[in-house]
Amino acid sequence: MLRRVKGLICQGPKLDPGCFLQARAWLSAAANQGAQIPEERLRTIFRTHESNPANHSEQHEGQHYSIPLQEVKVVFPHGLPRRFQAQMKTFNEACLMVRRPALELLGYLKSTNFAHPAVRYIIYGEKGTGKTMTLCHAVHYCAKQDWLVLHIPDAHLWVKNRTELLPSSYHNERFDQPLEASTWLKNFKVSNERFLKEIKTQRTYVWSKRESTEMGSPLGEVVEQGVTRVKNASDAVGVVLKELKTQCPLGSFRLLVAVDGVNALWGRSTLRKKDKSAISPEELTLVHNLRKMVMNDWNGGAIVTTLSQTGSLFKPRSAYLPHELLGKEGFDTLDPFVPIQVPNYSQREFESCYQYYLDRKWLQHEKVGTEEGREELLFLSNSNPWQLERISASL
Amino acid sequence: RLTQVRWSRYGPDYLEPEVNKEVYRKPGQELSEEEKMEQDLKALQPIKAAPCNVTSSLFSDPTISKFINMMMKGGNKVLARSIMSQTLEAVKRKQVEKYHQASEEERESIECNPYVIFHQALKNCQPIIGISNIKKGGKTYQVPTPLTDNRKRFLAMKWLITECREHKHYRIFMHEKLSQELLQAFNNEGPVIKRKHDIHKMAEANRAYAHYRWW
Repeated sequence: MLRRVKGLICQGPKLDPGCFLQARAWLSAAANQGAQIPEERLRTIFRTHESNPANHSEQHEGQHYSIPLQEVKVVFPHGLPRRFQAQMKTFNEACLMVRRPALELLGYLKSTNFAHPAVRYIIYGEKGTGKTMTLCHAVHYCAKQDWLVLHIPDAHLWVKNRTELLPSSYHNERFDQPLEASTWLKNFKVSNERFLKEIKTQRTYVWSKRESTEMGSPLGEVVEQGVTRVKNASDAVGVVLKELKTQCPLGSFRLLVAVDGVNALWGRSTLRKKDKSAISPEELTLVHNLRKMVMNDWNGGAIVTTLSQTGSLFKPRSAYLPHELLGKEGFDTLDPFVPIQVPNYSQREFESCYQYYLDRKWLQHEKVGTEEGREELLFLSNSNPWQLERISASL
Repeated sequence: RLTQVRWSRYGPDYLEPEVNKEVYRKPGQELSEEEKMEQDLKALQPIKAAPCNVTSSLFSDPTISKFINMMMKGGNKVLARSIMSQTLEAVKRKQVEKYHQASEEERESIECNPYVIFHQALKNCQPIIGISNIKKGGKTYQVPTPLTDNRKRFLAMKWLITECREHKHYRIFMHEKLSQELLQAFNNEGPVIKRKHDIHKMAEANRAYAHYRWW
C-alpha cells in the first residue's frame, strides 16, 4: 500500500522574514553575475523556453513554459479552468508553471511498466492549489508523447444540473444524459482525430432498427453516431470506453484516463427521478461506464485523477483528503493508488508568479511593484494560487 | 419631543485615528515642532476606533470607497465591493488584451491601469458649473451656480451609476455595464459626458438669470 503519512498532516503557513531574503537572493544572485544584465535575461528567470514537458526537470521548477495556442486548441478542447481560459485570451498566450507535484507525476509516467496493470494517481490538496493545472500538465505531456488521452474535464457536471434525463435504452433501470455525453464526444473527437481512424471496433453495435456499426469499422463512426443521434450519445460513450479498455492491453497505443473531480463518481447526486426520489450515481450510464474505466484491471496506460471539493455535492468546504472526499466506497474501489499532494506556492513559485504578472502588465496598481506591495500580496493570498489570482485581478 | 437619531458616542476630546503607515515610520529627528506636539497629544488623549472600511492597506483608495458606498443597496457592502472589483478587472482585461494585440508604437498610448482610468473618467464626467431651481415671482428659473468639489464628485458618480442602472438592459451584469461606461468616459464619449455637456449648455443658455442667485 503506497501512502505517505506526512503528506496528510496539515502544514501551517511559514512566514519568517528570512524567507523573503532567500527569494530576493535567488533573483539577485542571477543578476549579480554580470554588471549589466539585459532585460531578456531577467525575464527568463521566471520563464523557460522548454515547451516540451518531457524535458522538464528540477532546474525548471517554478518557471513558466508556454504552449502555442494552436496546440492548446487541439490538446485542450475542454479541461482548462475558466479563469485560465480568460487569462489565455487576455495575455494572448498560454503559460503553465512547472511545479514539483507535476514533475513527480511526470517522473512516474515516464517510468510506467506497460505490462503491469494501470497505476492510479490521485492528485489532492486544499482548494485552489493547482490540482487541475497539474492534471493539464500531465495531459499535455501524454499528448506530446502520442498517447490516447481520455480527458473528462469535470465529473461533477455529470451528476448535477438537471437538464434532460432519458431512461436508458440499453438497461432498464439506468438513466442517460444525452447533452453532456454529446458535448464530451465532440471534444473527444477534436483531441484524438488520428486514433479514431486507426482503432477498429471488435463487435457490431446495433443502435436502432436501421442503424448499426459493423465489426471492424473505425471508432470515429461510433463517435459520429453519438454526436448526430443525441439519444444514443451515452451508449456511444459506453461503447468507446469499452473498446478502448479491451484494445489497450494489445499494445498498439497507450491510454491515459484523466478524470477531474473523481469524487463525483462515488458521492451523491442532485438529480431526481420523475417521482422525486433521489438517483444514486450508480444509476447513470455515464458514471457507471466511467467507474469501470477507472478500475485497474487493464494494462498499457495510466489513470490520473483529481479530487475536487469545489464542484462536489454535500461535502464540507474544509474537506480535501482522499478519505473524506471519496467516502468509504470510492476509497475501497480506488484503493492501491499513488497520492500526490499539491501544496500552496513556495517562496520561489510565488516570486515567479508575481514576476510573470508584472511582466504581462497584469498587476497595474502603482504601489504593487514595491517591496511592501509584494509583502501585502503574499499576506493576503497566503501563497494560495487561486487567491493570488483573484486578488491580483482587481489590482 | 425630538431626540437626535444619529449622534456620535465619542466625546469632544476624542481624536481621529491615523491609519497611514508612512507617518509612523518617520524617525524622530525629521518631525517639525507641530508634528512633535501632535504626537505628544496622541500619546495621552483618547482616540476613536477606526471604521471597518478604512484600512492601512496600500491598495485602499478613498474615492473608490466612496463609489462603493454609493453603489451599495440595502447595506450589502459585500456585493457592492465585489461588483467594484469585477468592474476594475473587466476594465483591465479589455485594456491588457488591446495592449498585447497592438503594435509597438500603439502600446505606449494604451492605458492599462484601471485606477488611473477610473480617476480620469470621473474627472472627465465632473461638471464645471451646476444648475439650481430658484423661484422668483411665481416662476421657477434654472440658474447657473458654482459647485463645490465634493458636489462635483458626487454628481459624476451618481450619473455613472444611474446611467448603468436605468438606461441599460437589466439582464447584463452591472460590472459589464460599468466597465463599458468607464472606458467611454475615459475617452470623452458616451452618455454621461453628453449629460455633462447638456448641463453646461443649459447653464450657458440661462446666463441672463445668473443675477437671481443671492449666495
